[in-house]
Amino acid sequence: MRCRISRVTGLASLLAVVLAGTVGFPVAGIAAEAATRAGPVPWAEQAITAHVDSSLYTGTLDADALKRLRDEGERLFTAKFTPTDGLGRPMATGAITPVKAKRPPQSLFSRTAGMDSNGCSSCHAEPAPGGAGNFAVNVFVSEGFTNADFDSLDPQFSNERNTNHIFGAGLVELLAREMTADLHRLRAETVREARATGKPVEVELVTKGVDFGTLTIQPDGMVDLSGLDGVDTDLVIRPFSQKGVMTSLRQFTINAMNDHHGMEAVERYGARWTGETDFDEDGVSDELIPGDISALVAWQAGLKPPVQKVPDDPRWKQAAAHGDAVFDTLGCNSCHIRALPLNSLKFADPGPFDAAGTLRTGEVPGAVYDLALLDWAATLPRNGDGAVMVPLFGDLKRHRIADARIAALGNELLAQRFVDRDVFQTTELWGIGSTAPYGHRGDLPTLDAVIRAHGGDATPVTRRYEALAETDRSALIAFLKTLVIEP
Amino acid sequence: MNTRMILGAVLLTALTVRPALAGSSDAGEETVPPPTMDIPFMHEEAKAAGIDHAYRGGWEFFVGGGVASFDCNGDRRPDLFLAGGTEPARLYVNRSPTGGALKFEEKDLGLPERDLKKVTGAYPIDIDNDGYIDLAVLRVGENRTLKGGPDCTFTSANRLLSFDGGRAWTTAFAAEFEADLPFPTLAFGNYVDRSAPGSPWGTCHDNDLFRPQKRELTEDGKASIPAYSERTALSPGYCTLSILFTDWHRSGTPDLRMTNDRQYYRGGEEQLWSVQPGRPPRLFTRSDGWRSVKIWGMGIAEADLNADGYPEYALTSMGDTKLQTLDEDAEEGRPIYRDIAYERGATAQEPYIGRDETKPSTGWHAEFEDFNNDGRLDLFIAKGNVEQMPEFASFDPDNLLLGGLGGKFTEAGHLAGIDLPTKGRGAALADFNMDGMLDLLVVNREHNVSLFRNLGAKIDPRSPDATKVRPMGNWLEIELAQKNTNLNAIGATISVKTGNTTRVRKIQIGGGHASGHLGFVHVGLGVSERAQIRVQWPDGTWSAPYRVFANNFVRIERDAEQAQYWLPE
Repeated sequence: MRCRISRVTGLASLLAVVLAGTVGFPVAGIAAEAATRAGPVPWAEQAITAHVDSSLYTGTLDADALKRLRDEGERLFTAKFTPTDGLGRPMATGAITPVKAKRPPQSLFSRTAGMDSNGCSSCHAEPAPGGAGNFAVNVFVSEGFTNADFDSLDPQFSNERNTNHIFGAGLVELLAREMTADLHRLRAETVREARATGKPVEVELVTKGVDFGTLTIQPDGMVDLSGLDGVDTDLVIRPFSQKGVMTSLRQFTINAMNDHHGMEAVERYGARWTGETDFDEDGVSDELIPGDISALVAWQAGLKPPVQKVPDDPRWKQAAAHGDAVFDTLGCNSCHIRALPLNSLKFADPGPFDAAGTLRTGEVPGAVYDLALLDWAATLPRNGDGAVMVPLFGDLKRHRIADARIAALGNELLAQRFVDRDVFQTTELWGIGSTAPYGHRGDLPTLDAVIRAHGGDATPVTRRYEALAETDRSALIAFLKTLVIEP
Repeated sequence: MNTRMILGAVLLTALTVRPALAGSSDAGEETVPPPTMDIPFMHEEAKAAGIDHAYRGGWEFFVGGGVASFDCNGDRRPDLFLAGGTEPARLYVNRSPTGGALKFEEKDLGLPERDLKKVTGAYPIDIDNDGYIDLAVLRVGENRTLKGGPDCTFTSANRLLSFDGGRAWTTAFAAEFEADLPFPTLAFGNYVDRSAPGSPWGTCHDNDLFRPQKRELTEDGKASIPAYSERTALSPGYCTLSILFTDWHRSGTPDLRMTNDRQYYRGGEEQLWSVQPGRPPRLFTRSDGWRSVKIWGMGIAEADLNADGYPEYALTSMGDTKLQTLDEDAEEGRPIYRDIAYERGATAQEPYIGRDETKPSTGWHAEFEDFNNDGRLDLFIAKGNVEQMPEFASFDPDNLLLGGLGGKFTEAGHLAGIDLPTKGRGAALADFNMDGMLDLLVVNREHNVSLFRNLGAKIDPRSPDATKVRPMGNWLEIELAQKNTNLNAIGATISVKTGNTTRVRKIQIGGGHASGHLGFVHVGLGVSERAQIRVQWPDGTWSAPYRVFANNFVRIERDAEQAQYWLPE
C-alpha cells in the first residue's frame, strides 16, 4: 500500500492525534503542557523533569562528571514516580522481555503481580537508600509470561523474595566480569588445545579461587557442559538477584523498573524491539532513556561497600574476634569467601557481557569511570599483587541450599531462569548486620535461624554449627553483626 | 500503531522518500520513516571474498541458477556449490574467519567438465547416511548425484545408486525420509519438454519421484548404499520450478508441494501431491478442497509464521508474490488456502526503487529467515527479469521484507544494501562467518554472484558507512543429529520458546529456487537471553526441553540429556 503524507500537514496531523491521545490522561496532559511552556511548576506531580543526556557522560569520566552522573542517578533512585513520568504498565506484564498484558489491571498498584512500588528506595531503604527491606516490602517474583496478573500469595504463581541491599554492587559486578572473562579465557584456551592436539581436553573452571566445575571440549569445538557447577552454561557469572541470574546492574535496573514501577526503558521496551514508543500503553512514551539507566547504574555502582565495624563494647569485641575464627573453623568461608581479588576498579557502562535488550558495548559510546575516584575506595585492602580485596563474604556461585531434612530455604515452587527452586547464589554477608530479617523470603528473623536453615550443600556446616557450644554460636553471631552498612 | 509510536517515528527522522519506500536515497516529495526495527547492513564482497562465478546460458538457463550451501569438510562452515549453466558448476570452500570478512577458495571437483556443465541447481543431502553430505545436481539433461567424501571430495554416484538421471530439463528438487525407509526419497521437478511437438507451449515434462529400494542395515547399524532404480512419474507435470516436501496439516507425513510456471503449461495449476509411505503418489483435487491457482510459480518458501503447526507458504511469481495460509475454516485434511500477501505487505509485486517501479517484477528464490535477529521472520526474495521481457521490470532489485509486529512485512532491501542491478535467481541464506548474523549469497544470471556479509544493525538506516553499525538481537544456531539413518534429521521440527513466544523451524531439503541449505538452523531471539528448545524428530517423537543461553551454536543429539555448545575456531 502506498501512502502519501506531506511533511507539513502530516506532522501537524500526527501532533494533533498525539495531543488528542493525552485526553485520557489529564494529569499527564496538564503536566506535559506546563513542562512544554515554561518547565513544570514546582509542585508538579512528576519526578522526571528532565532526562539524563548520556552524551554528556561518554569516555572516561573524571570525578566531577561521575559525581554529576551519580547525583542524577540518586535523584532517580529516590524518586517517587507518578503517571506523568510513566508510572504503571497497564498493558505490559512485569516480564523481562516485552510482553503485552491481556487486560489492564483493575488498579494501578498490585501488591502481588505489580506494578508494586513507585520508587526504588521505597523498598531498598534500610538503613539508607540502596539498602535492604524488611518483610513488609517483599516482592513476588514471577517470570511475567503466564498468569502474569496473578493476585495471590500462593507460591505456585510467584516466589516471594526479600529486598536485597546493593551497597558495594559496583565491586560485585566488576568481580563477576573478571570471573566471566577468566572462564571464557579458559574455555577459549581449551578449545585451541583440543583443536591443536586432536584430542578431547577437560578444563577445570577455577577463577579467583572459586571452582565452577569442568568443561570437556572435543577437537571439533564441541563442548560437553555436563560438568559445570554453579554457573550458567554460557559461563557468564550473573551476580545479581538471590538466584544469581542477572548479569549487570544495568540489566537488573531495566527489569526492576518495568516490573516494580512500570517505568520502561527504551533500550528494551522501545520502538527498536517492540515497534512502539509506549509499549505499556500508559500514555507516556520513552519513559527511561539510556542516560537515565546509566545514571541509575552509576549511582548503584558507586555505593560504598559495607564494612566491618566492631562496637566499643569490650565483650562484643572479644566475642566478635572469637566468632571470626569460628566462621572459618565451621567452614562457612568455603562459600562465604571473605574476600575476592579485583584487579581493576574501572567500571565500563555498558558492560561487556550483557545481551540484546540491555545496552551492550558497541551500541553507544558508553562511559568508563574508575570507582577509585570515590572516597571509600582508598579504604579497601589490597593484596600483594595490588588487587583490591573485595570483602563480600561470597563466591558468586550457586549452590543447592535445601533438602528434605532442612527444607526452610527450599520453600519456593518455581524455578527461575533455568535455576532450580532450591538452588541459590551464595548470599554476600557484607552488610548482614544491617539487613535483618534473613533468608530469600525474609522470613527468618535472626542470624541463628538462617544459619540453621542452611541445608543441601551446606548441611555439614550447619551440623557443625548446631554442635557448637552456645558461647561459640553466640560469638559467631557477634562477628556477623559487625558486618554492617555505613552509608 | 498507536499515536506515540507515530510521533516517535516522525520525530526520529524526516526522511524524504518515494511513496511506499522508507528511507530511499532517491529523494521525492513524501516522507515515510524507515522501519523502527534494526536494518541489517549487508555488505557486498563477493569478489573480495574470492568468488568469481556467474550463471550463464541461453533460453534453457533463463531459469535455474541455484546454489547448495552445506559443510563439506567438517568445520561446520557453509561451503558453496554453485550452478553455472553453460559454465561449469564450481565448489567454493569457506575459509572465512569467525566474525571477519568472508573468504572462499575454489576447490577443483576433479569431475569431468561435462558433468559440471548445464547445471541449473543443487541441493545437499546425505543420501547414504555416511556422514558426508552428498549433492543432488540438477541439469539440463542427465541429473547427477555426487557422493560426498572427506575434505570436500565428491565422486559421481549415479551408477553406485542405480540412479538414472534422465534427460529432462530439471529445475527443482526435494527430499524426505519416509517412515521406515532408511534412505531419502528424492523428487525432481522438471520444466519444458523441448522435444515434444509444439514445444515449448503446453509441453511440460512429468516430474519424478525416486523411492529407495529397501536394503537391510549392516551389522554395525549403519545403512548400506541405497538403490534408486525405480522411478515413479508424477504426471501431469506443469513445468515445475520448485518443489517441497511439507507437512502442511500436522499429519506427520509430508506431502509434496509444487509451484509451476503458467508461462508454458496449458490447463495446469499449482499442485499438491499426497505422498503416503508405500503408496503411489496421488494429486490433491477439487474434491479434496484444492483450489486452482495459476501463477508463474518460481520458488517456494515455508514458515510457520504464527507457530500454530500449519505452515505458511510464500510463492514467488511474476508480479505478486503469494503468501498462503491454511484457511482456518478448512476442514481437517483439506488443503484450502487463502492468500494473505496483501494484508501482510508481502506482495512485492514491483520494484521498490528504480526506473521500473511501475512494472511488475519477477521473483525467484524465496526464503524466510531472521536477518536482523529481532525474533521475527523476514522474507528474502531474489528478483530479476527473465532475460529481456519488456513488460516486466528490467531493474528489479532483490527484496528484504522485514517482519514486524502484527505479522506485517516492510521492505528494507534498499536500506540494507541488497538493491543491486542484477538478475537474481537462487540464493543461500546462511551464517558464513559464524558470527550469529545471517549472510546472503545470491546467484545472478550473467553476472557475478552477490555475496553479502551481514555487518550488524545500521545505526543510521540511510548511511552507507559500513563502520556505523551496532550489534543486533540475540540468536541461536541449532544443529540436530541422529544416528544410523537420516543423520541430519531432515523433516524435524525445532520449537524455540522464549517467554510466551514460540518460534518454529523445519529442517527441509527442497523449495527455494534450485537452491538448498543444510547446516545450522538460525533463530533470532530479539531481547531474550535464553530459550527452551524442543525437537520433534522426523518420526514424530518430541524431545524433552533443552535449556540454552542465547548467542550460542547448539548441537542436540537425539536422546541426549543435555544440549552441547559448539565453539567456532
